[in-house]
Amino acid sequence: MNGTPRGLNRFLLALFGLVLLAAGTGLVVLATVPSAAQWWQGYAGAQLDWLRDYANRSRLLMSNESWVWIAGAVLSLLVVIAMISWIANQGKGRAATLLDRPGDADLDGAAGAVRLSCAVAEQALKSALLERTDLLGVSVTSYDFARQTAVRVRVLPRQGVAPHKIAAEIAELVEALDELLGLEVPVLLSIGTGARSRFTKAERVR
Amino acid sequence: MTGSMQRALRRETHSPRSALSVLVAIAVAAAAVYCLLEFTLVALGQPSWLVHPMDAGAWLAALPGPYSPVLLGAAGVVLALLGLILLGNGLLPGRRARHVVADPRVAIVVDDEVIASALARCARVAAGVTREQVMVVVSARLVQVNVRPTSGIRLSEAAIQAAVEAELADMALDPAPAVTVKLAESGVVGV
Repeated sequence: MNGTPRGLNRFLLALFGLVLLAAGTGLVVLATVPSAAQWWQGYAGAQLDWLRDYANRSRLLMSNESWVWIAGAVLSLLVVIAMISWIANQGKGRAATLLDRPGDADLDGAAGAVRLSCAVAEQALKSALLERTDLLGVSVTSYDFARQTAVRVRVLPRQGVAPHKIAAEIAELVEALDELLGLEVPVLLSIGTGARSRFTKAERVR
Repeated sequence: MTGSMQRALRRETHSPRSALSVLVAIAVAAAAVYCLLEFTLVALGQPSWLVHPMDAGAWLAALPGPYSPVLLGAAGVVLALLGLILLGNGLLPGRRARHVVADPRVAIVVDDEVIASALARCARVAAGVTREQVMVVVSARLVQVNVRPTSGIRLSEAAIQAAVEAELADMALDPAPAVTVKLAESGVVGV
């Protein structure tokens, strides 16, 4: 439901996986096949000689060192920035505004705007759910999903509680919320288990 | 149910791969920071910290070098296995242990553990045994109910199956799992 870039995650993981797989296989081949080792030393040695030669020829006036090293440093910096932005993109997408409707002087009699915070829906659902004794944990969060604001409800019921009954009752709550707000907010309900619901008793009388 | 909620349900039932992504990103970023340091030192004409980039390149080009084939081969296998794990995480679907419950208004996903504990309670009531005698395993397409009867009391497998199936039908899960009930050969004494 959040804005985690899942396609990018999978693409980059597969890419790094392929690189590591190729490096590992290459190392095994180098270790076991002598002719491959000879070819590798000849090939990589030639590349290295060229690089050493080029680094000697391309020394800069200022520092008496080649610009190749500056290029390498810049490349490393770009990789670091890319990795940090990749991490920063995980789990983003929390929303703050549920509804933002500009008023119209002709239609409503006065110009203005109606702005509803996501806390309205979150608090309404949460306070209704916290009264229940069959739920051990409730969390309600809002996300920007598919260009609209959606509410995600996560409940942790006690052991043995039938999930479809909870689902039906929460669906009724959501319909009541629809009437309260006057608009249909997309709602996702996730019923799960936490450590607390796993270790507390299913019921008091057995 | 709109198309965007269908997409949300698909996202909820599949792994986002974010934990592994963060781990890999940190590892790659650490390696890149080290490279940045060494390149910068060389570019400024300073002595390198651990190894000069050119020396690292020479070491790489001289492989297999003085190392024993067993050591190099083992290192290669470990690298390749790490690569396979990452590749598998990138390409496999990564389904979470969750089921979707059909509802016209709200998109609902249920963890398999919740379904299992509800079905266990249902089977326990149908069989008339205690909590410890019932174990339910829920997978994507199969619900396995294992019951250990109380010694000396005959249990009806069909009745338990019917009760569990009725509860499952009420849940209206997608994908709908099949139910198998297994009564243990030996009973329990003293419950």
